[in-house]
Amino acid sequence: MTDALLKMCDITKSFPGVLALDNVALEVASGEIHGLVGENGAGKSTIIKVLAGVYKADAGTVEIDGHVLPDVTPRSVHDAGVRFIHQELHLVQHFTVTESVFMGQEEQTLLGLSTRAMRQKAEAFFETALGTEMSGNTLIRDLGIAERKLVQIARALIDNQAKLVVFDEPTAPLTSGETDKLFTAIRKLKEQGIAMIYVSHYLAEITGICDRVTVLRNGQNAGRFDEVFDDSAPAMISAMVGREIDELFPKTEHTPAAPRFEVTDLSAEKFEDVSFTIHRNEIVGVAGLVGSGREDLIDTIYGLAKPRSGTMKIDGVAQKFRAPADAVGAGIALVPRDRRHDGLVLDMSVSDNINLAALDTVSRGTLENRRAANAVATDMSETLDIRPRNIAATLRLLSGGNQQKVVLGRWLNKGADIFILDEPTVGVDVGAKVEIYQHIENLAQDGVSVLVSSSDPGELIGLCDRILVMLRGKIVAEVSTTDLGVDELVALTTGGATQEAVS
Amino acid sequence: MNQTLSTKLLAVFPIAVFACLFAYLSIESSTFLSLGTFELILKQAVPTVIVSLGLAAVVIAGGDDVVAGGIDLSIPATAIICAAIIADQLTNQGNTLVFAMTLAFGAAAIIGAINAFLVVGLRMTPLLATLSMSVAVVGLTKVITSSRRIGVTDESIVFIRDGKIMGVAASVILTAVLVVIFYHALHRTRWGMNMQATGGSRDAAEISGILTRRFVVQSFLIAAFAGWIASVFVLARGSGSSPGTEENMLLEMVLATFLGAAFSPRRVVTLWGAVLGAVVVSALSVGFISIGVNVFWTGCIKGALILLVVASAAVATKGRS
Repeated sequence: MTDALLKMCDITKSFPGVLALDNVALEVASGEIHGLVGENGAGKSTIIKVLAGVYKADAGTVEIDGHVLPDVTPRSVHDAGVRFIHQELHLVQHFTVTESVFMGQEEQTLLGLSTRAMRQKAEAFFETALGTEMSGNTLIRDLGIAERKLVQIARALIDNQAKLVVFDEPTAPLTSGETDKLFTAIRKLKEQGIAMIYVSHYLAEITGICDRVTVLRNGQNAGRFDEVFDDSAPAMISAMVGREIDELFPKTEHTPAAPRFEVTDLSAEKFEDVSFTIHRNEIVGVAGLVGSGREDLIDTIYGLAKPRSGTMKIDGVAQKFRAPADAVGAGIALVPRDRRHDGLVLDMSVSDNINLAALDTVSRGTLENRRAANAVATDMSETLDIRPRNIAATLRLLSGGNQQKVVLGRWLNKGADIFILDEPTVGVDVGAKVEIYQHIENLAQDGVSVLVSSSDPGELIGLCDRILVMLRGKIVAEVSTTDLGVDELVALTTGGATQEAVS
Repeated sequence: MNQTLSTKLLAVFPIAVFACLFAYLSIESSTFLSLGTFELILKQAVPTVIVSLGLAAVVIAGGDDVVAGGIDLSIPATAIICAAIIADQLTNQGNTLVFAMTLAFGAAAIIGAINAFLVVGLRMTPLLATLSMSVAVVGLTKVITSSRRIGVTDESIVFIRDGKIMGVAASVILTAVLVVIFYHALHRTRWGMNMQATGGSRDAAEISGILTRRFVVQSFLIAAFAGWIASVFVLARGSGSSPGTEENMLLEMVLATFLGAAFSPRRVVTLWGAVLGAVVVSALSVGFISIGVNVFWTGCIKGALILLVVASAAVATKGRS
């Protein structure tokens, strides 16, 4: 593997206030499958977008086949034989396979489209290049997700000009059975001498399929593995993580009291057989990659999505949530991951937002008692240190951290027994993070049961007593956070280790 | 499995309702199933078929989401103002047909360009943009005609009304040619496939290197063009321009185009579907008249059918996702 097909050298890219890539190198030999791994925010997407010509690097060179690209644009990269398989499928539901494969590159004669020729070409391509049978007349909406992924790949490669294919998290929406189909295709492409960059969070896949691996951390190269073995995952994880949990967390030992919230064998479209219990005075975390079913689990618990089967009990009483209002009525508070869309009315004032869930307590009949509402809001903004300390301020003008405190304040005001926090600190600055952690901790001290779903392993370990780990729609591990390392949790979420190996 | 079966039943439900209606009409009226009636149905359908071609193009390029997708409600108004301009030029101003039609073409082009600018340039919702445009254009038509009927006796227009080509009504033959041209362009060329991709998934089309904004602009220009062509047939059918015809045409156009989606194998708006839909709608009108249904009831029934078709499409979409 001496002849490098792609050489990206000293790539630097900064955004206002952030150095996203700092002298990063990425080298791919012809015919190899090269893994690219790193935590969220390590710079994987940024370097892929630099290669795609979407971002312009501040410094550095991109060399393909020994020629430095003078100008890296989507067109020049495409002409050099680089193809991208994006995470999203980008297919038209009511198109046939043939129409999808040839979208934007249809073949036609003077008489019109060469439908039959295109269909034959597409079907032949699936068979010879991807090692699978596919009828060109099938509609996309009748295909499974894995097959749609293959159609997406065929569209990128049908012109037979591809030398390097970049896969961005190709298996994220797939179940484990479906991934095999994709891997068959990927191996088949390798046989044809096509090089690939494989970006994934799933380390088990990386070790299974990649020849070499580049690890990024905080926008820098953090190691390259020129040989990959089945047991390389732990070494990769320590290269990826390489930090300790900072002192952001006020955690004290909780002594969980009686069980409060029990979920038994809950199944829905994207997860199955999920069971867990949250006690009083306890903070439980849910870890899992995008597509693991973690977000769907939270939505289902909160009545936003329908469960297929299973039961939920609060204090031993069975619950059925048809809509979020039912969950609120049962004493559950949700701090949603997308607070701007689901959590707040941005054009209303701080006071209005804080009182939104508990209007009946500050109303006489159908009339809102302004003075009482404002008193509540003033109290709450002092307790939570919401800045600016102006309850009439429009929420849109507050920073992310202060907006999140308003969401929190609303539920504190309402007085819920169970708090569900979905990505509570996304887009929140460090100072406000510490305060939010302290408030969550206080809740647990006061006997509230808390469920935290987060993509930040450090946050989960620092905040929670126990963590449920989800992978491909199942809870694969349940671990105590005492002496749990970030690397161990990352290994669990990426399928790089099992519960037995960790505990 | 059960769900897919019920989804399929839902999808054929509108077709079944129409089939029953036709069965009823042919039993009730002795003349409904005859060649003469069939020709009458086709002749009556002509202007609706042509404006539906335009609407189908806009929906194909903009997507079939009724609010956010592509829709152009100003096509009938375009046809009516073009008819008014042509009638006014021929009868009141004494100009030639070529001059009158060129002037009308200019008006249609301006309407199409403004629609395209509102939707693509200003990112207005097509529904609102073209509805307002329709109201404005209808108002302008009244200014031109003083809200009076203008008769036309030009021999080309009379030929389109009464003439025959190879024994078939001239208007039907000319429309058939137009349908074939539209069909070929939109369904049998790369340009048409790219337009379909634009409406099918804007992101997917963009990623495949298709200039989607250009296709949306073109679809509104095509719609205006269809309105212009339709104006000639509107003139022929009514032997002149008469105010107030756009309202019924608007209703029939929307019904025909979305009814066509129920007829198409993929359950999406297509040109064939729109044409078939227009013929079916015309057959209903002719059928209702032939069995002597009150004219006021006809409107009520048509409205109810629109609701039925759109509702079953909405439920089908929901079942799919």
